[in-house]
Amino acid sequence: MTVTTKGALGELFDESLYSTINRFYIAEAWLLDERKLRAWLDLFTEEMVYYMPRRKNVNRKELAREIPERGTDLPFFEDNRKLMEVRIQRLESGTAWAEEPPSRTRHLFGNLVIEKVEDDGTVHAKTAFICHRSHGETTTALYSGYRVDILHPVDGSWKISDRTVVLDANVILDKNIAIFF
Amino acid sequence: MKTKKYDVLNTETGRLDPTIYSDEEIYKEEMEKIFGRAWLLIGHESLIEKPGDFFHTYMGEQPVILSRDKTGAINAMLNICRHRGARVVRTDDGSCKSFVCPYHAWTYGLDGKLEWVPGEEELYDGTIDRAEMGLKKARVATYAGLIFATWDHDAPSLEDYLGDARWYLDLEFNRSAKGTKAFGPHKWVIPINWKTAVDNCSDWYHVPYSHASAANALTRIMGAPRMTSDVLWKKKGRAAFVNGHQVCFFRLPDDSFDGNPYGMDSTEENHAEAIERLGELRGDGVMLGTHSLFPNTVLGFRIVIPRGPNETEFWHFSHTNAADTPEKQREVALEHAAQNGAGGHFESDDIDNWNQVSQSGKYAGAREIGQYINMGIGNTTTDDVFPGQLSDRFVSEQNHRFFYSRWQEFMNADSWDDIPLDPMKANFEGTASMDG
Ligand code: FES
Ligand SMILES: [Fe+2]
Repeated sequence: MTVTTKGALGELFDESLYSTINRFYIAEAWLLDERKLRAWLDLFTEEMVYYMPRRKNVNRKELAREIPERGTDLPFFEDNRKLMEVRIQRLESGTAWAEEPPSRTRHLFGNLVIEKVEDDGTVHAKTAFICHRSHGETTTALYSGYRVDILHPVDGSWKISDRTVVLDANVILDKNIAIFF
Repeated sequence: MKTKKYDVLNTETGRLDPTIYSDEEIYKEEMEKIFGRAWLLIGHESLIEKPGDFFHTYMGEQPVILSRDKTGAINAMLNICRHRGARVVRTDDGSCKSFVCPYHAWTYGLDGKLEWVPGEEELYDGTIDRAEMGLKKARVATYAGLIFATWDHDAPSLEDYLGDARWYLDLEFNRSAKGTKAFGPHKWVIPINWKTAVDNCSDWYHVPYSHASAANALTRIMGAPRMTSDVLWKKKGRAAFVNGHQVCFFRLPDDSFDGNPYGMDSTEENHAEAIERLGELRGDGVMLGTHSLFPNTVLGFRIVIPRGPNETEFWHFSHTNAADTPEKQREVALEHAAQNGAGGHFESDDIDNWNQVSQSGKYAGAREIGQYINMGIGNTTTDDVFPGQLSDRFVSEQNHRFFYSRWQEFMNADSWDDIPLDPMKANFEGTASMDG
């Protein structure tokens, strides 16, 4: 049986599931902001995908093509575990100049909605976020967006197998997307 | 040449005046003398495949609609309404029958002709000359699917403008009769002067250090070829320069990064076609590396759009060989994006360097000490086979010097009459042409 919640409206609402997922995301935010990137990557499964599509400027009647379908377009990220490993090792090297010295980030993840729970405990969840990046002396960038995750219960916690990050931006107002969400 | 206002590069010492990166007046003059005259890359035919398709782009700072009209012809038009200047198109792309200005609904055809004006009789008493009031159009030309436009009706043909640089560009854009396909673009705003991203296209000197973190991680984890100085500085390829365009090319098989038996091609079949279209040497013996087209096309299919002396919008398209399977095309496109897109692990590490090079022009001390692009002075040669001005080794700053000399030629010219073009001498073996 698949229990489908109605998300924010709360029908079939499972308080304890909601709270454990929420705490998971709070812990994740601290990992990112405390620059524990390897521990952060360990929140993902081996088969993970970290996906960030483009977001096009289209008319309201054409909103169906605002976010191009996965597999058809040129996303900002469509990284598997190996590519993410490249990114993390790169940052750890001390010569990844985009993040050297590293940014000061603050991720606020909220508005959690659990969209679906599958029989095997797989959870489909979405969150909204605001993230502020401060880099070097005075460079700042403000990101907002939402994330759609597929999470699996593993060893008493959760692992993400699929993350979609959608930014609330068309032209990105940051010199590089060298931080994670 | 009446004026010789600019003298920013000492070609004997390689000293460059950094004022060119930060000065407001110079920037304004560039918009007119460079971006108002040159052929500018504005898109790709695969972005507007069908009649009615449009794609919003820029020529320098200016917003431009790129459209395919009912006859299949390609149009580039200033996206500024002839009535009061509102932007007619406000989406990234789409498909339509006509362009209706959101302000007062003046309506333009896909070819820019003014087709309808509300109240033409009732309010204007029939005084509007619709034939005269179409959207401002640019001259358009294509090369192997790439779409270029210029505002200057005195500009030479695109073929002459590209000149022998096309001998090299064909290596990437003209391998297949199917042409190339464009994916994207990523769009992001970076705090640099546009020229720093362009001159960087010939800068292999920075790669072993600037990009060490990405290259080393890719080697360790993905088995990617090493990009260290002992590898790069021994490459048999050269830097070449034609008409303002910069090319770095490799020789195959010696310079091969990955040992692919088909060089730049993914299959034997594609490779055979490339040899037929480009000849044996180009199809099999040379690989295009980083390159840029004057003024603002960089490294493959990327455009730097100036937005101020120290602000530039970067567009990253990935382009792939349309003869490849859709899966292969996407794999290639994603790889380009992972390396050089907005989150690219190579590209990301360039930005602060370019930012600081650009900013240096603001400081008296930096203007006093100048910048130096003096590597390989005196080492430029020419060759019967490889067109253009050639560096005598792969890593060199000759193209930086030629780029700023070209910049100066445009900035000191009163018109296209004052801007020299290299004569075309290259041997274009094979069947590939301007038209693909
Ligand atoms: S500004 Fe376009 S119709 Fe008036
Ligand atoms: Fe670089």
